[in-house]
Formats: sequence, C-alpha cells, structure tokens
Amino acid sequence: MSRRKCAVLKKPYELTQSQKMMVFILSMSLYGLSNMFTELVPSAQLGVIELKIDAFAFIPLTLCMLFHPLYAAIGASVGELIFGELMLGQFGGIGEVEKFILFSLGMCIGGMLVRNPQIKSQVAIGAISGYGIFLVLATIVDILKVVVGVEEFEAVPGLAKSIFVVEGVEFLNDFVFSGTLFTLLPTLYLVPRLYGKIEPLLGMKPRDNKVHYSLTKVFTPKLIAISLVLTAIAFVTQAISESDFELGVWEPEFVETYGSQVIWVVIGVSAFCSLMIIGYLLRKGKEAKGDTNHLA
Amino acid sequence: MSWLEISKFLNEKLSLEYVKNELVKTAYGTEENLLTKLDPRVLLIWYCYFAIVPWFIHSHVVLIGYLLFMLFLTYRAKVSPLILGVMGLGLLGEMLILFIISLLFGGDLETVLPMVWLCIKLGGISLASVAVFTSINPEKFSDALLRLGFPAQFSFSVAYAYRILPTLLEEFQQIILSYRLRGLAPEKSGLFYWRKIVYFLIVFIRSFYPLILNSAKRSRTTVEALETKGFTYGANNLQMIKLKTGYLKLTYNDYAFTMISIFYLIIVHALHYVL
Repeated sequence: MSRRKCAVLKKPYELTQSQKMMVFILSMSLYGLSNMFTELVPSAQLGVIELKIDAFAFIPLTLCMLFHPLYAAIGASVGELIFGELMLGQFGGIGEVEKFILFSLGMCIGGMLVRNPQIKSQVAIGAISGYGIFLVLATIVDILKVVVGVEEFEAVPGLAKSIFVVEGVEFLNDFVFSGTLFTLLPTLYLVPRLYGKIEPLLGMKPRDNKVHYSLTKVFTPKLIAISLVLTAIAFVTQAISESDFELGVWEPEFVETYGSQVIWVVIGVSAFCSLMIIGYLLRKGKEAKGDTNHLA
Repeated sequence: MSWLEISKFLNEKLSLEYVKNELVKTAYGTEENLLTKLDPRVLLIWYCYFAIVPWFIHSHVVLIGYLLFMLFLTYRAKVSPLILGVMGLGLLGEMLILFIISLLFGGDLETVLPMVWLCIKLGGISLASVAVFTSINPEKFSDALLRLGFPAQFSFSVAYAYRILPTLLEEFQQIILSYRLRGLAPEKSGLFYWRKIVYFLIVFIRSFYPLILNSAKRSRTTVEALETKGFTYGANNLQMIKLKTGYLKLTYNDYAFTMISIFYLIIVHALHYVL
C-alpha cells in the first residue's frame, strides 16, 4: 500500500486531456471577465502619474499556482484576447501576438516558481516576479513599437526622451500600483484559501510539494519552434519598417516616366468599377427586397 | 442643462447596468448591417490586411484614406457609443500626455505632429477592428476560425466566451450585491471618495473567491458535455470540420466587397502620387 502511494507521488504532475481543457476554460472565462472591467474602468490622473488598473493579474497567477501553469497561462491570454479585445472590438493586430506571448510567459514563470502553494513567501515571490517579468518585457516592446511607428524618431527633438519617460513612469506606476494592490495582495488572499478546495471540483488532486513538472514535456520542441518563429516575424517586421521600405511608395520614378495623367486614369477606372459594383449591389438588394415583399 | 440633469445623465451612462447592457449588445451585435452579410472568412482576411499593413505606411494621404474608409464602415456597423468613447478618450489622452511631457523637454507643436499621424494610423486600425468584430456573429466567427485551421480549443473558446458572458456578468453582479448587503459601507466618502473606492475594490476582489469556485464547477460540466459529444475526436477529424462548416459559402456580396476594397485601395495609393 505504502509503496503504491510512493509510486503515485513520484509521478510527474500531469493532467488528462479533459483536465487540461477544464483548467484552460476556467482561466479563460475568469481572466476574460476581469479584463473587460480593466478595459472599461477609467483611470485617475494625478499629474504625470496615472492611477490605472493595468490588469487583474492575480487571477491567472492564482490559477497558475494551483494548477498546471502552462494551460492556465495560455487560457488567461486567450481570455484576454477574446473578451477584452475581440468582443470589445479593440483588437490591436501584431501587438496582440506579442502581448499574448509575453503575458503567458510571465504568468507561467510565476506559477512555476511556486513549489508549495501553502507557503506564503513562495506565493508572494511567484506573484511579484511573474508580473514583473511580464511588465519589463512589455515596456521594452512598447518603446520599440513607438520607435517603429513614428517616422524620423531620432530627428524630432524631445520625442525620444519623452517616450522613455512616459514608458518608464508607466512601468513604475503599473508595478507599484497594480503590482501590489491587484497582484500581490489578492494572490496572497486567494491561493491558500482555494488550495485543496478548488481541485476536487475539477476532479483532480491538489498539487503538493513533492510534485514536479518535467520541463521537457512543458516546453515541447513544437512550442519552442512556434515562439521562435513568432519572435523572428516580429523582429523582421520591425527591421523592415525601420528601414526606408514603404508599401505606399514602392516606385518613385513611376510618376516621372508616365506623367500624372496615367494615375488619374487609374483612379478614374477604379472609381468607375467600384460605382458599377455598388450600382449592381443596390439593384440586387432591391430585387431581394421585392422578392420578400412578394412572398409576404 | 442644469448640474442636476448632467449628473443624472452621467449616472445613467456610467452605471453598471448600462455598461453590462452595452457589453452584451456589442458582443451579440447581430443587427443586420453591411458587414454581417459577408462570409466571416472574408472579413477575417480583410481585417488581417487592415490590421497589419497600415503599420508600414507613412504616407499621409494613404493614412487619411484608410481612416475615412474605416469611419464609413464603423458608421454603417452601428458601433456602440460606449466603445467608441473609450477608444477616443484613450487616443486623445495619450496624445495630450505626450504633448505636455515633450513641452517639458523643450519640444513644441512640431514634436507632437508625428504623434498625430501615429494616432490617425492607430485610429484607422482600431476602427477596423471595432467595425469587424461588432458585426461578426460569434457562431460563424468560431466556425470560420475552425475552417481556417485554428486549433479547435481556440475556436471553441470564442463561441463559449460569447455564450457564457451574460451568465458570468449576472453571477458576478449578484455576488457583489450580496457582499454589499452583508458588509458595511463606509459612512464618509473621504477625500476624492477614496474610502468608497477602497471599499468597492475590496468587495470586487473578494467576489472573485466564490466566482472562481462556481466557474470551476461550470467548466467541469462544460468539458464533460463536450466530451460526451466527442469534442476531442471531432476536432482532430478533417471530414467532421468540413461537414460542420459546410454552410460557409462565398456569395456575390463577398466578391463585390472584396473588389470594392481593392479598388478603393488602388485609388488611395494612386492619390498618393498625385497629391
């Protein structure tokens, strides 16, 4: 009997397919809901310092500490993407991919640092470092983004400095304000309370301190390859836009060789074609309406 | 308008109930409009272009052209004023702060000009996403993602999120209300209402404890129901996916929309050379 128990304890912490899905859905819906509030709650301005709730990071962190960090972290990022961005119509394009990876990474590390969810100091260290890692990376990316987005970044006096200051202040504000009030304290409140209570609801055993993850199973070659490819894409897009490459002006000599009349002709033809299509659609719409009236 | 009326108006506009209604309306915006008639796959691909390409465009004429196109579509898509307000305030606020700070560092109006163009760029991109995602039907959206080859878990999450949102909001509100009923609200509001704000934040965070437990139960039920229907098996079966999403068909609407977008892009990019 005791030997069997030992064998059970030595097994790495693994979840079945449906348990992974449960953790994923739980994390997604809860963090998504909280994210909707953070997107909508107005921020209070105190001079340069902006008191803003950046994220209720305690939710994914709590779940990462109680369950398998990877699935809880990815679930939270998906939840943010769906509830906070897609549903509210605030999807930001490439930036979201970066935030997705960075946030998952931060939360995952935060969860992995905690070996025993009942020791408060471990929970505190996990919460602060998980959120901190995410914020540091996000700030770096934010600065890069403005550098990429603004033409002649270096040429404009005062702009470079002001952006570093804005991002720096925002980082400190997020880290001190959101980091303690909405990450550290709630996590310390929730994790010991939920430990041992929430796991049976999902039909699994609580994590205990003898449990360990096998790192090779979490970081599969596929996952690493995908993140590397995404990072590479982000880097290449940044490099391209920092060079003089522009999609709008791929051939400057074009106008000189053909004269501006040709361009007006192109514009005319396109406008004519679009008008034709719109006219066709309107006629079609009227016909469809006529049909329904006829049926009614 | 007197102050009383203004405060009443603001109270109505900022109440939790209003926010909840607007969110649900946005999420379930199935009102017929220009964009709802299109195939969701076409919309998604169209959106990918307008979300990524503007980042690489610095031509002012082209950027304004993009913004005008998006303004037209947002108008036709009947986007909720709450969302537009939040978005507009965010953009304006960011510009204002940057302007003030760059003044401190010896810049002037010239400094802000590039930021204005960045804002126009960002405005165009965010309007595109607002227009698309408020007028896309969640069920169709999820199926389109599945058909385009996204993981089944992700496409399920989209449909699930739209379905579960009203329940979650309702439950969260009830938990908060019950905490408030049992708790004692501070009598004085203090400087800048800080006592009230702290009280509400504590209630808000403590409400997550029951909510997490309830959601855990619900997610277990959901997964059990999914597995009864053979979700994991079906998700890995190409034929099943084809059968499930077979109703997605391209119509003349989709072709017309694509063609008009392409022609509009040609016009805008051509105008860049002339103007």
